[in-house]
Amino acid sequence: MTQNDIDLYKQLVKTIFKMRYKGSILGFLWVLLKPFFMFLILFVIFSATAGAAGGLTSKQYAVYLLSGLIIYTFFNEGFTWGMNSIMDRADLIVKINFKRSIVVISALTMALINFIINFCIIGGIGIALDIKYLPNCLAYVLLICFVMFLGMYGISFFTSIWRVYVRDLTHISELVLQLLFYASAVFFPVEMVPEKYRFIISYNPLAVFIQAVRNALIYGEITHLKFVLASLAFSVILVFIGKSYFDKHILKIAEHF
Amino acid sequence: MEDNIAVSLKNINKKFVIPVNGKKDTLQERFVNPFHRTKYIEFQALKDLSFDVKKNEFFSVIGPNGAGKSTLLKIVSGIYIPDSGQVVVNGKLVPFLELGVGFNPELTAKENVYLNGTILGLTKKEIDEYIDEIFEFAELKEFANLSVKNFSSGMAVRLAFSIAIKVKSDILVLDEVLAVGDGEFQKKCFNYFDSIVGRKTILFVSHGLEAVKKYSDRVLWLKEDKTYEIGDPVEMVDKYSKTF
Repeated sequence: MTQNDIDLYKQLVKTIFKMRYKGSILGFLWVLLKPFFMFLILFVIFSATAGAAGGLTSKQYAVYLLSGLIIYTFFNEGFTWGMNSIMDRADLIVKINFKRSIVVISALTMALINFIINFCIIGGIGIALDIKYLPNCLAYVLLICFVMFLGMYGISFFTSIWRVYVRDLTHISELVLQLLFYASAVFFPVEMVPEKYRFIISYNPLAVFIQAVRNALIYGEITHLKFVLASLAFSVILVFIGKSYFDKHILKIAEHF
Repeated sequence: MEDNIAVSLKNINKKFVIPVNGKKDTLQERFVNPFHRTKYIEFQALKDLSFDVKKNEFFSVIGPNGAGKSTLLKIVSGIYIPDSGQVVVNGKLVPFLELGVGFNPELTAKENVYLNGTILGLTKKEIDEYIDEIFEFAELKEFANLSVKNFSSGMAVRLAFSIAIKVKSDILVLDEVLAVGDGEFQKKCFNYFDSIVGRKTILFVSHGLEAVKKYSDRVLWLKEDKTYEIGDPVEMVDKYSKTF
């Protein structure tokens, strides 16, 4: 890692960030507004029924819904942007020989920045509704997000390469992410899902992460610790395997755009 | 490798595999017709090519379209990997296959200097140091905070050129970018080239045969049938000119 690599990484993140909101009047506020309105709509429609089915007060349901939305959005953006990162910078890759993995990490950093901003909404809502989060629970939530970040980084090493060869991947991932939205119990309590289908949620890592975040924020309980630690180990391994896969296959990528 | 060699290529082969009816990347093709194999044609871009470029030599590559000139530059630059053969580069190589790589029209000129500069290998600190000189050379000082989309193509390329010459390198790979902009700016470009000829290794691809004759120490002529000749610039250019 040279100084130029670091500077290039910062420049790419800055550029993506500026480009995303350049020219729009509300600009950067859109990062906050989009999930907030999504939250508002779902909250108005579902707070009575969904909250009651899960035995949640409407305050608790607000945190329940918000944490689900924000964790899901983090995964959605990280996965999608990581996958598209190489393809999106084809213009550079065919002209200059720089460290290609910088493109991947800068795309993921963008998702992380959005997540951190969104996470502040959780804090804001908490203050507004007078909900107290325990510090160790907040730390646990950040650990979970770190694990997710590593996991998505590892996955992106594969998907960013596959994306160049299989153009369908964009559509496939859109579909899968859409299904995942429902399979992760983002806005409804698990109790609303018929018994025989609940295994989908209990075997879905994203749903488990969301559940753990909720337990930490709503009840102040640290749950699924073993799963989170196992995922951490798995993600670290995934990053290493992914990196070597990436390094091997990136060499030929410039010919396939 | 000898000390006075900057770039060395040995027995380079490069083949491209191209689907006959355009891209066949979608799964639909495979669903609709799982047993249909896409037909590919092979295109041999470079065949058994070997040459050395000496340190501080001006080495030009000429030849018709499709002879493999651009492929060669991309292989030397590390963008393509040869199928077989060996590439050794001795020193810091910067490819200028295009000026203004990564330029973003929405960003201001200044922002683009930082973006393009880091892509070319400069650090932020170095750019901080050079930024005034860059705008000075490009004669665009008063436009530093303007979006590049409002620039004429000449202005954009002037800016790009001014960044490019600030990049520290031992070996320059140039694809047809010798001089850009209007007459006056072109003069500045040529002055710059005069100042580096003999002090840096330059690998140059061009259809501008006059420039090739004027600057080159040696010329590589790539032919359509994948044979090649290396020799004296005047002789090579004359021979090549007789083929059309």
